[in-house]
Amino acid sequence: MLQQAIVSGLVFGLYFTLVGLGLNLIFGVMRIVNIAHGDFLMLGGYAAYWLFTLFGMSPFLAAVLVLVVFLAVGWPLYYLIVPRLQLARDAEMLSLILFFGLSQVIEALATIAFGTTEHSIPGRVLGIGPFGLLGAMLPKAWGVSALVSAIAVGAVALYLYRTRLGTLTRAVMVNRDEALASGIDTNRVSAIAFGIGIALAGLAGVFAPFMLGSMTPSMGVDVNLAAFAVIVVGSLGNPLGTALGGMIYGVSLLLMQTYLSSWANLLPNLMLILVLLVWPTGILGREVRRA
Amino acid sequence: MKASVFGGLAALALAAGIMTVADGARAQGNMGGDMGSVPKEIVIGDLYASTGPFASISMPVYDGLKLWVAETNEEGGAYVKAYDRKIPLRIVSYDDQSNTATAATLTNQLITQDKVDVLVADSGSVLASVSVPVAREHKVFLIDPTGTGSPLFSKDNPYIALVADPASVIWPKYLADFLTDEAAKEGLTRVAILYSTNDFTGTQASALKGFIEASHSPVKIVFYRGVPTSTSDYTVMINTIAATHPDMVIELGYVGNDIAFLRNLQDSGLKFRGVFSIYSGSEPEVLVKNVGASGLAGVFTYSPSNFMHYKPTAGMDVDQFRALWDKTYPGGKVAFGLNSDAGYVTGLAIGQMLANAPDLTALGLRKGIFAASGKMTTLAGPFSLNELGEQTGELMPIGQLAPDGQNAVKLTVVYPPEDADGKAVFGPK
Repeated sequence: MLQQAIVSGLVFGLYFTLVGLGLNLIFGVMRIVNIAHGDFLMLGGYAAYWLFTLFGMSPFLAAVLVLVVFLAVGWPLYYLIVPRLQLARDAEMLSLILFFGLSQVIEALATIAFGTTEHSIPGRVLGIGPFGLLGAMLPKAWGVSALVSAIAVGAVALYLYRTRLGTLTRAVMVNRDEALASGIDTNRVSAIAFGIGIALAGLAGVFAPFMLGSMTPSMGVDVNLAAFAVIVVGSLGNPLGTALGGMIYGVSLLLMQTYLSSWANLLPNLMLILVLLVWPTGILGREVRRA
Repeated sequence: MKASVFGGLAALALAAGIMTVADGARAQGNMGGDMGSVPKEIVIGDLYASTGPFASISMPVYDGLKLWVAETNEEGGAYVKAYDRKIPLRIVSYDDQSNTATAATLTNQLITQDKVDVLVADSGSVLASVSVPVAREHKVFLIDPTGTGSPLFSKDNPYIALVADPASVIWPKYLADFLTDEAAKEGLTRVAILYSTNDFTGTQASALKGFIEASHSPVKIVFYRGVPTSTSDYTVMINTIAATHPDMVIELGYVGNDIAFLRNLQDSGLKFRGVFSIYSGSEPEVLVKNVGASGLAGVFTYSPSNFMHYKPTAGMDVDQFRALWDKTYPGGKVAFGLNSDAGYVTGLAIGQMLANAPDLTALGLRKGIFAASGKMTTLAGPFSLNELGEQTGELMPIGQLAPDGQNAVKLTVVYPPEDADGKAVFGPK
C-alpha cells in the first residue's frame, strides 16, 4: 500500500505541477495573484469536453488548440488588466480582489452556458485499463496526463533558460524596475508570460476530466487551493519550484488518503501553514529566484 | 405603594403572558393573524444554489418546485383550507451559491423581510442544516426537501418536515437487508463501506453499519472509512480497499464522488463481486455521460421513482413529469433524476399541507403536512412522516444496472422480493 501511495502520488503530483505552473509563472513575473486560475483551468476542461463531444476531437489535439487560443486570450487580457493593477500601491492585494471578481464572473457565465451538472470525457479516450509502474498499478490516463505535464514543465524550463525571451522574463522576475531601467520591454515580456500562464491553466484543464473525475463550473475553488499549496511549497515566484511542490503535494495527499482518509482535505491548508511558518520563501525559494 | 408595586408586577406578568400566547399562535408570513382577509397570493420562500459544489443537487430541486408552482397556478392556485378557496402561489427565491453562511442569512431574510407563508430550505443536508436553527428560532415551519441527515431532526423541534427523500437513518435499510440476506446467501460476506464525510452519506454509512452489525448475519465489515466530500480521485483508496479482499464494495457519496469512484474503478482493472453506489440509479443520465454505460454494468444502486413507476394519488406520474420537464427545460443543462423529482414532490407536499392546515401558523402547517402522512402517494412513492418530521416513506428498493445497448442503462429491481422484477447477478469469486 505504501509503494502504491508513493508512486501514485508522484504521478498525481506531476499533474498538479502543471496545475500550479501557470499560476506561479504569472506571480513570479508580475507579482499578482490570479485567483481566477482555477476558472481558466475549468474553461480548458469544458473546451476539451465540447471539442470531444461535438467533433470527436482527441484530447491531444484539443490540448494544442486550447494552448493556442488561451495564449491568444491571455495576451490582450494582460493589457486590459495588469498594467492598471500595477499602478496601485498594493498591486498584490488588489489583484486578489480583482481576479476574485473575474473568477466569479467566469463561474457564473460557465454555469449559464454549461449548466450545473458534472461533465467528463470517457477515460478510455486516453487508454483502457491500468499499467504497471515501479510495482504500482495506475490508470493509463494518469500516465498520459503526467507525461503531458512533464513535457509542459520541460518546455517552460527551456523557454526560461534557453531562449532570449526567457532570459528577459527571468530578469523581470528578479527585479521589474531594474529590468525596465535596463531597457527591457517589461509589458511585452509580462504579457507573453501572462498568456503562457493562462494557456498552461487551459492545458491542465484538458486533462482534468481524467485526473479529477468530472468537471463543474464551480471546480475552480478547489483547484486554486491545491495550486496554491503546490506553489507555496515549491516556492512562490519560482516556476520550476512548482515541480517539487507538485510532487510533495501529490505524495502527501495520497499517503493521507491511504492512512488518514477522512483528514485528506486538510492537507493543502496544513501544507500552506507549515511551509509559510518554516520556509516562508518555499523549499526552493531564494536560490532559484536569483538564478 | 405596596399595592401599586403588585399591580405593576401583575400588569407585567399579564403583558408577558399575552406576548407568549401571541408568539405561540403567531401566523407565518405576510398573512398575519388576520384570517378574515383573504390574501391575494401565498408566498413560498425558497433557497437554491446556482453555483458552487451543491449546485448540481440544488438546481433540479428548485426547477422541480417551480414546475409544480406553475402547474398549480395554471389551475387557479393551491387550495388553502384556512380560507376554503384556491389562492395563487408566488415563489420568492434567493441564490445562496452553496454557501452555508449565505444560506443562513437568506433564510432569516425570507422570514423577517419577505415574511413568506411557506419556507423551503435549500437542497441537501449541508445547506438545509443552517436553515433549521433559524426557522426554529423564529418558530417558522420549515419544509426540508432533501436534507436527510439525522442531526437536522430532534424531538424538541416541531418546526421541520423532510418531504422528498427518506431520512438517512432509514434510507439504507433495504441495502442492509439485501447484503445480509440475498448477498450473504450467495457467499458475499465481506463488505467494504467507503463514504463521503457529510451528514447525508455519513449518516447512511453509520446506519448501514448498525443494521449489518445488528443482523447477526455472517456478513463482516472489513473496511469502513470516510473520505472528504471534495475527493475527486479514488485510485489509491480502491487499491487500499482491494487489499482487504471484500466481496462487495459500498460507495456512498454525492454525484461527483460516484463518478470519480466508478471511473477510477474502471481504470484500475480491479473487480469486486458487487459494487454499490447511490447516484448510479438516481441520476443515471449524468452517470452514463461521465462513466459510460459499460462502467455502470452490474452496479447495484437504489431504485428511485424514475424506475419504479408508482401510481400517484397526488400529482403526475413519472412519465408525465418527465415529458413536462423536457418541455419546460429543454437542453438538459439541469439534470432530470431523483432531485428533479424531489423538487416536484416538495411542491406536492406543500399543496397537501395548505389543503389540510387549519390555519397558517407554524403549528397549523405542521398539522397540515402530518395530515398527509400515510395518505398520499407521489411519483416518489408513499409519503410518510415520523414524529421527528423525518420522511419514512419513499424508501428505494435495490436495483442492478445493465447497459441497454443504446448508450443508456436499464435497471432491474432485485430487492426486496415483493418489488423485485429480476435476480441479482454477482461477479465470479
